[in-house]
Amino acid sequence: MASKNLRRVGLPVELCSRLAKQHVVTCQEFLTLSSLDLLRMTGRSYEDFPQLMMTISKHCCPKTTTALENKKQHKQQSAFLPTSLASLDNALCGGLACGSVTEVSGPPGCGKTQLCMMLSVLATLPKRMGGLDSPVIYIDTEGAFSSLRLIEIAQRRYSEYFACQKRLLEMTSRVHLYREFSTQHIMDRLQVLEESLVETGAQFVVLDSVASAVRQEFDSRLPFSLVQRSKFLGQQAAFLKYLAEEFCIPILLTNQITVKFNDRPTSTLETTEEPSVEESFVTTALGTTWGHSANTRLVLQFLNTQQRQIRVAKSPVAPNMDFSYTVQSSGDDDDNSGE
Amino acid sequence: MPRQVGSLPLPPHQRARLQAAGFETTDELQGIGPCQLAEELAIPREEAMGILRMARGQEGPVNYPNALQLLVEEQAEDGLLPTFSSALDDLLGSGVELAVITELCGAPGVGKTQLCLQLAVDIQIPGCFGGLGGQAAYLDTEGSFMPERLQQMSEAVITHCSRLASTKQERDQQDALKTFTPDFILGNVFYFRCFDVTQLIAQSHLLPDFVDSHPKVRLVIIDSVASPFRHGVDDAALRTRLLISLAQRLAQLASTRRLAVVLTNQMTTRIHPNSTQSASLTPALGESWGHAATHRVILQWQGNRRFANLIKSPTRGEATVEFTVTSEGIRDVPTTPSLPATMPAIPTASMFLSSPTIPTSLPSTSTSSNLILKSPSALPSLHMTSASMPPSTSASPAVLGCTAAMLADAASSCINAMTAFRMATGEKMTTSSGSSPS
Repeated sequence: MASKNLRRVGLPVELCSRLAKQHVVTCQEFLTLSSLDLLRMTGRSYEDFPQLMMTISKHCCPKTTTALENKKQHKQQSAFLPTSLASLDNALCGGLACGSVTEVSGPPGCGKTQLCMMLSVLATLPKRMGGLDSPVIYIDTEGAFSSLRLIEIAQRRYSEYFACQKRLLEMTSRVHLYREFSTQHIMDRLQVLEESLVETGAQFVVLDSVASAVRQEFDSRLPFSLVQRSKFLGQQAAFLKYLAEEFCIPILLTNQITVKFNDRPTSTLETTEEPSVEESFVTTALGTTWGHSANTRLVLQFLNTQQRQIRVAKSPVAPNMDFSYTVQSSGDDDDNSGE
Repeated sequence: MPRQVGSLPLPPHQRARLQAAGFETTDELQGIGPCQLAEELAIPREEAMGILRMARGQEGPVNYPNALQLLVEEQAEDGLLPTFSSALDDLLGSGVELAVITELCGAPGVGKTQLCLQLAVDIQIPGCFGGLGGQAAYLDTEGSFMPERLQQMSEAVITHCSRLASTKQERDQQDALKTFTPDFILGNVFYFRCFDVTQLIAQSHLLPDFVDSHPKVRLVIIDSVASPFRHGVDDAALRTRLLISLAQRLAQLASTRRLAVVLTNQMTTRIHPNSTQSASLTPALGESWGHAATHRVILQWQGNRRFANLIKSPTRGEATVEFTVTSEGIRDVPTTPSLPATMPAIPTASMFLSSPTIPTSLPSTSTSSNLILKSPSALPSLHMTSASMPPSTSASPAVLGCTAAMLADAASSCINAMTAFRMATGEKMTTSSGSSPS
């Protein structure tokens, strides 16, 4: 809507060509200029100018709705993708929210990819079983996706449903996998994602993981690199949020963790749950700015060799709580031995 | 239409001096200030001013608005916008202030959107309960708006108001409650989802007309101002210019139509290459944006507790209070917190122990919310202050969720001035509030 051509707004042709000579072609370019520049460029009088501004603003502004209509709309579509971990679903008021971006982060080996694969299987299930009955788009940047593991999860968890071979194959054919290993490829993939969503009819997108390509390519200690990195992440977040809301689907991202020291610049260690240095603490990677980008944040961590924990770090609907779970051959399971 | 100077109804000596100085028509008196005219005609400045006014055709001296009129206007407001946490209300001075911009900054997950949702409900509290009975316009740029959560908060506020109505048994309160339902509350929150900078700017141009056509709108929330500007505008100079013009439009809107404008900002990490601290958290959008808001509050974590730190306000002193977010919305913590003496004014990265960090013990946030539900003393109660208030302040508007101590020390000076003025107009006032007799 921002890149809407001024001609399509219904402005007189001579005004449009006059503005085009000054390189003002879209609504966005019009609205980012100051009033003085615009007065000079359009040649309008000071009294007429507000009317012009209003006309263009009306063509760019979002739709006016109320919260009530929003709620009714939410109710009509399936508003959540249940994760099948009952306590987590309870806390999140249903599961992964449709129309918003959920981020899962945690140390390596904690089960992020397992969670992604399990949710991919869930999304392909019919609605009566709690799924979305739709294809899944899975963007893998680490090379951790394995079709065999996907089949194993499906068979062990929903053994009666996937008892016949045909259903298994159908499920795997509905998970569309894209392997992108550089930030440029990821950005290209996101730009065509809107079309892919329309053509495949997918209702669930997984990006595993956001951090790996970015951290390889951008060195966060160099200031210029940091700016580039923030820009890339910002664009990525904006795309994903737009897609989530436009199609009203849940989008799942995974992130890594990093260790921050108090008086030294950040360094990334791959193997730490209990930081040995006293003043250091573990936090999600990609910085504070990225932290604002996801709507819901879940953090995974190890409790002991068997149990792991999910913590709801940021959510518009849920309080900050912890849950235990285990990773088994059937995917992630609730830990019934206590939270 | 220029008149002959001789035809103006002036005293003869002034007319004579004007003509002696060479002024023939009133056109020639344009563009001359009273000081210069006074010097040329050798008359006092006030007389010169009188001549100029007559030449322009103005009747008498212009009415200069003074602080007393402003005070009257403010006190005439018969309602407040509370946050339902008396600590936060106290911090901001009887709730969120109208006609100014309040900015909330904070790390992700600390509760900015929750506070915005709470305010969108609180603005609708009917006048008989001490609220403003207005509507809210919510401009969402991040997509964190959840109508289900708004419904939860509305139900809690309705329960609170019903409890009050049942104790007081007032007719108008009972009537108000009949229409005060969750659907009604949700229907009064106008929602605009702005995906990028252009939509946000466009909507800000259209807000004045929108507010004029919906005169009950008393609150405009933008959640958040930071995200579209940080990701959508690369050029820093352009970003600053757009932000400042947005801030001016909002300030004008707030002031002329007496709305409360609440903006949300993000935090960013500032690296200090040369000092002992390696990095600290600071509000995003730069230094010049810091001047845009009238009140600035930073919400921060400390461990698992949430604190609100007022860092900029022309009327309230800098302070930090604790609050919590429960299933009902924003509330006080059940016990009075003892603030750590070493809390620095600027949050450092080490203080930003937001929930993504991994504590060794499991936090018990769920139990604290149970405490709040069970203990009635923590519920903000309307009229609880009326018994303990001195009689001279009984004319003050009903205060929702504010403690007697807050009223006594912060607002009573204003209210005393008001009641004194109402009781004895024209008498000289001896208060230390912002009013000055004209």
